[in-house]
Amino acid sequence: MSSTSSTISSIRVSGSRERIAGLGNILRRNPLLLIGLIVVIAWVLGALAAPLLAPFQPLQQNVAERLQPPGSPNHLWGTDELGRDIYSRVLYGGRITIPASLLVIVFGSVIGSVVGAVAGYLGGFYDELLMRLTELFMAFPTIILAMAVSSALGPSIQNAILALVVVWWPSYARMMRGLVIKAKTNDYVEAAQCLGASRFYLLWKTIVPNCLSPMLVMTTLDVGNAVLTFAGLSFLGLGPEPASPEWGRMVAVGIDYFDQWWMWLYPGAAIAFLVIAFNFIGDGLRDILDPRMR
Amino acid sequence: MSLAQYALRRILLIIPLLIGITFVSFLIANAIPADPINTNLPPSQLNNEAIVAAFRAEWGLDKPPIEQYFTYLGNLLQGNLGRSIKTRQPVAEDIAKFLPATIELATVATVFGIFIGVGLGIVSAVWRNRPIDFIARAVAVIGVSVPVFVLALLFLSVFHAQLGIAAGPGRLTVTLRDPPTVTGLFTVDSLLAGRPDLFLDAASHLILPGLVLALYIAGLISRVTRSSMLEILSMDYMRTARSKGVRESIVVMKHGLRNAMLPIVTVIGLSYGNLLAGAVLTESIFAWPGIGRYMFRASTSQDFPAIMGVSLLIAFIYVVVNFVVDILYYFLDPRIRLS
Repeated sequence: MSSTSSTISSIRVSGSRERIAGLGNILRRNPLLLIGLIVVIAWVLGALAAPLLAPFQPLQQNVAERLQPPGSPNHLWGTDELGRDIYSRVLYGGRITIPASLLVIVFGSVIGSVVGAVAGYLGGFYDELLMRLTELFMAFPTIILAMAVSSALGPSIQNAILALVVVWWPSYARMMRGLVIKAKTNDYVEAAQCLGASRFYLLWKTIVPNCLSPMLVMTTLDVGNAVLTFAGLSFLGLGPEPASPEWGRMVAVGIDYFDQWWMWLYPGAAIAFLVIAFNFIGDGLRDILDPRMR
Repeated sequence: MSLAQYALRRILLIIPLLIGITFVSFLIANAIPADPINTNLPPSQLNNEAIVAAFRAEWGLDKPPIEQYFTYLGNLLQGNLGRSIKTRQPVAEDIAKFLPATIELATVATVFGIFIGVGLGIVSAVWRNRPIDFIARAVAVIGVSVPVFVLALLFLSVFHAQLGIAAGPGRLTVTLRDPPTVTGLFTVDSLLAGRPDLFLDAASHLILPGLVLALYIAGLISRVTRSSMLEILSMDYMRTARSKGVRESIVVMKHGLRNAMLPIVTVIGLSYGNLLAGAVLTESIFAWPGIGRYMFRASTSQDFPAIMGVSLLIAFIYVVVNFVVDILYYFLDPRIRLS
């Protein structure tokens, strides 16, 4: 028994060492993951450095230069209906959309994981109670719930995030519950229990850490969805106020100036490239952490 | 268990789900600090106590929430979804008016999506890790990543405004009158009315919004098709089939795809359900008078009867779609027993 488990642990150790050593190989073999990482890092840096990179303030109007096409002398990507510089606005927009989507994912996954872990670990009555509640939120159509919550609370960035967290946590609860139920039957859990570990310790230090890698894949694959849904809510007018340089909002305003395609194409492309990049990363991560999917 | 017994059991299981949905809606409606008077009365009347009281009395908002809830449930049992505060029509009538447009669009989009998605997925799996696989996978990622509202604008701009080869927003050209309503599906109603010109016009208006939605679901479908096909293609019976001298196209399509169908059917069902639940973004850009737009209007004006009605409808749609998928499993794989 002891020799078997030491073999198993040595296999695990060498496995993880190989994985780290193979990271360069993996990036080389999975160019899409590399591209995704580069694009996301570029967007994040661009958003962080927006005050340095942007030639104009995002809200600065100049009616004399309104609706300039891309490539005009002062405005690389043209200007909108109030003469604001599109390039500057798109750069600043990253400062809203990226953190907002990440917050949705962080809050949604943490709340969902806690609910799911507790339900899966305790089982019985608590499991029934928590999971029936989760199912109710899942059965409720995502977008209608988000729309109802954010329109009832009043359109703002915070409320849009709140609305999305309300619809975001249930799928994580389901996933985490399944993982915990599977993990809690492992021998090492029983071993820790025999050593006198408390229930709290068992769940959060022994079981949950072993469930994190599939959760990580799910979370990464989900960031793109969060960006799309946040931009969608804001496109519908349920996010930041109209003047805001948020990308979905800019596309919505651009519809009224349909022929001035640069007004909606640049912010729209910004969303698309960011989401594509996040999806490349999520797919790549899944390939690394779950070799069966290769 | 026979098919009929199974169906009956599934139908009975819908009831607690629907009651749960009404309960959550009520909980949310009462938890959020929103008052329908703000969005449904003119601002000048908000301080007019008589008007506000009359509005509350008319809609039963002056009663305690528990009583409101049981009134609603009682009405629901009689098939009455209540009256929309916004349109002042019975919610059931509103749904009957808006749903066909969504069904028509969702069906066309799903059919496009199946052809594109399953096609890409098979190509990807058969020529695994070849350049064509990478292209197909990139198309799939792009399909699920480009926001539908951006894709919609792009398609309208290129194919309608610039090239003029596709019809624009709306279900029909504005100068045409709607066909007499039978099913509410313009393509069907126009044929029933013997108007092929209307049929062509309605069909051409379905192409752009249909494609926009199809690309999104094709992305989902092709990913699942690829991984499911890869699993099947490595099976022993595939080698056996090849060694018997069966043509490669038959090996892939009949021995392969047929056995890889279960997960594909699942994702198709899920996508169809999603589209039926109202593609609010696409519908709003293409001025498509469907459930998505009705739902948007209801939720932005705190029109609770309409919100509840649409939520129930959507939950019902998901249950029906899941049910159909399970029945399809049964026919696709005779080893599956209904339980």
